[in-house]
Amino acid sequence: MQAIYGLYRDPDSAQQAMDLLQQAERGLGFNDNQILVLTGEPYEDHAFGMQNKKTIMPWMSAGGGLVGGLLGFWFISFTQRAYPLMTGGMQIVTKWPDGILTYELTMLGAILTTVVTLLIAARLPDWRRHVFDPAIGEGKILIGVTDPPEGSQDELRRRLRSAGAVEVKEFIA
Amino acid sequence: MAPAKEQNQKAFRLKRRNWGMAVDEDRCTGCEACVVACHAENNIATVGEEQAARGRAMHWIRIERYYEGTFPDIKVKYQPVLCQQCDNAPCEAVCPTYASYHNAEGLNAQIYNRCIGTRYCANACPYEDRYFNFVNPAWDEPLNLQLNPDVSVRSVGIMEKCTFCIQRIRAAEINAEKEKRQLKDGEFNPACVQSCPTEALVFGDLDDPESRVSRLAKSNRAAKLLPDLGTKPKVTYLRRGSWYDEQNT
Amino acid sequence: MNKTPEQINEELLLPLNSTSWRYYLAVAALGMLVLVGFYAWGYQLDHGIGASGLDRPVFWGVYITDFVFWIGISHAGTLISAILRVSNAEWRRPVTRCAEAITVFSLLIAATFPVIHLGRPWLFFWLIPYPSERGIWPQFRSPLLWDFFALNTYLIGSFSFLLLPSFPDFALVRDRSEGWRRRLYGILSLGWRGTPKQWHRLEMAMRIMAVAIIPVAVSVHTIVSWDFAMALVPGWHSTIFGPYFVAGAIFSGIAALIIVMACVRKLLHLEEYLEPIHFDHLGKLLLAMSLIWFYFVFAESLTTWYGNQPSEMTVFWLTRSGSFSPLFWMMVICNAIIPVPILSIKRLRSKIGWTVLASIPIVIGMWLERFLIVVPSLEQNRLPYAYGTYTPSWVEIGITVASFAAMPLLYLLFVKAVPIISIWELKLGQHEKPAEVAAPVPAEEIVQGATASGR
Repeated sequence: MQAIYGLYRDPDSAQQAMDLLQQAERGLGFNDNQILVLTGEPYEDHAFGMQNKKTIMPWMSAGGGLVGGLLGFWFISFTQRAYPLMTGGMQIVTKWPDGILTYELTMLGAILTTVVTLLIAARLPDWRRHVFDPAIGEGKILIGVTDPPEGSQDELRRRLRSAGAVEVKEFIA
Repeated sequence: MAPAKEQNQKAFRLKRRNWGMAVDEDRCTGCEACVVACHAENNIATVGEEQAARGRAMHWIRIERYYEGTFPDIKVKYQPVLCQQCDNAPCEAVCPTYASYHNAEGLNAQIYNRCIGTRYCANACPYEDRYFNFVNPAWDEPLNLQLNPDVSVRSVGIMEKCTFCIQRIRAAEINAEKEKRQLKDGEFNPACVQSCPTEALVFGDLDDPESRVSRLAKSNRAAKLLPDLGTKPKVTYLRRGSWYDEQNT
Repeated sequence: MNKTPEQINEELLLPLNSTSWRYYLAVAALGMLVLVGFYAWGYQLDHGIGASGLDRPVFWGVYITDFVFWIGISHAGTLISAILRVSNAEWRRPVTRCAEAITVFSLLIAATFPVIHLGRPWLFFWLIPYPSERGIWPQFRSPLLWDFFALNTYLIGSFSFLLLPSFPDFALVRDRSEGWRRRLYGILSLGWRGTPKQWHRLEMAMRIMAVAIIPVAVSVHTIVSWDFAMALVPGWHSTIFGPYFVAGAIFSGIAALIIVMACVRKLLHLEEYLEPIHFDHLGKLLLAMSLIWFYFVFAESLTTWYGNQPSEMTVFWLTRSGSFSPLFWMMVICNAIIPVPILSIKRLRSKIGWTVLASIPIVIGMWLERFLIVVPSLEQNRLPYAYGTYTPSWVEIGITVASFAAMPLLYLLFVKAVPIISIWELKLGQHEKPAEVAAPVPAEEIVQGATASGR
């Protein structure tokens, strides 16, 4: 994998770089998915940080909770019927206490689903070598193009630099 | 009514009983023979002087002594307390491992093997009639030779309690089943009832209207221990009645 | 506070990179105390539960007190952090991880106590529902099973709550270290890079978790209270116990959080991150909880006293004027009479030393409260003939002391491995502030300007 990227000190020039890259997309022959943004913290107040914002995560979590609760209730009432023993003059399937456990398992289902959904949606874990620059940890914003088309490198460099890049680098895996 | 022949052809079935007990406080002299008999019958460990002083003695049946009045005009009241074998037992529902549960005859069974020693049942029991093995039980020689082979010996960390001598119930049932007959009232008794010199304790089937225990349970002296808790105990106490008061006033 | 990202990195990663001899000394001292606890537990395993001071009728004692107490402390973290996240309180940023770590550690400590308490602790796994050779399942009507499930849910939830926002910080440590540490943090960070997609998903996950963890935390302590309230024991069987325990848990939790934060601030030189304003805010919460706690105690006492049932009143007078009265009134002094005046006065509350001074008695007082709930009711349960007394043995005291040493020990180990302040969240708070102030620039202008300079 190869990439050309610029590092920016402030979000406004990063946004500028992003706009410049998007304008050049068609002319140079690459698409939105090749534009790479890496930051050390989320930038939800800038357009460049808004890629892939849409998600169904809350619905996944709610669904996970529902599944957890239903499975939980089924499992608990199954165990009570599988080996029916009377205690304290209560029914075999006791709805009130089972409700407490159903509730806990609902929440457990929702929590586990959230964690798993996060890992899948954020493509984690992924320990392969990717385009990366530790400078983002110092507040720099990385804007670049992965696998730039042949012959476009010089134009990309020029554009990244013109937006006010602190540094323009090339990444070769 | 089906003819007797047809009855015989069907497999013989023992009637299911509802075991209960009546305790006549008029008759109890506080001799504690029942306590000793219970220890011998049920392999209850004696924990020793030091542990007993720390409140770890185990007596499945105990004689509670209450004093009424002020000296010298004082009356001592004896109240034998054993597991009340509640129908709505608070101890059963709280056990996480079903060590304490309700068996088919309505007794509060305690399965020692299932017990992990949370001691929740003992807290929940309002009669404080569950006993815990705080230390590993041991029998001084030659007491180890008199252990009852019909009753399992419990280890440290386990809760135990009165069973209405379930080993005797089962033995009597097996005998009766062998002879294809129903159990008779008073045919067998738990160790405490058997050893009571004044017959203060009476054991039998509460569902049989003719049994001694069910007749006593209907006495106008009959009362339950802590009845307001709604535990439905199967032990009936016959409070000190007119007979006693007439003799003592 | 206004710091460059480089400064933040350097100052917050400092504890990970340099260790003084005092640190090793503290770890060794605390480790010794924890070992004493393990010795005491070993002694108890060898001698049976009789090594404790428990007897009939006091079947539950210090172990259960410790269990409830540590669960209560755990409410410092995740719950408070989640509430602050949901309400989007800006000042939360340096506090959250500090708090969430308390939850995970105190839950781990709390979870050991029911096992220590068991008569046959080697069989604790019989609470887990699995198809066993015994052919029997656990009894789901038992509050102990509810406890088991609630505790597991809470532990998994709060561990995730602590772990998820740590990935970006692990990545930061990875990029700033060499050798085995780089490899270790590389694995821990799961290969975090910081694409917008990852950030969005992480923030969304944290938002969902914050909403989900609040009801879980409330349910956990409610269920712990039901261990008592479900039993027909005078002084236990009360409908107020659920909210009473939850309020008490948050109360002791905030106090513990303040103490921990003050220690972290001093020892890790984070004076510029954990500022007096944070202690002031937490102090206000603590004041509110102190008053709520007092309200609950009053409500519970008054209803009991007015109802005047003999068995309830026995326990009532045992604590108010009987053998437990010194502990009871000490609890009231620790939980209300000392902290309320200190925390009510703005000038005192905004000084860190004073908020800590108000918090320490609260931690003690809340331990006493748990003790006073567990023991007196058992000492004088219904039948007077079966009354008893209880004195903890050295084994119980040793294990309790060890649990109090285990908390700072785990915390000390934690601050060496993980930045105690969530670095990315702190930076986010830094750059969001100027953005709010800056005048909006029309988007068109930027694009035009860019085009002009680009071509």
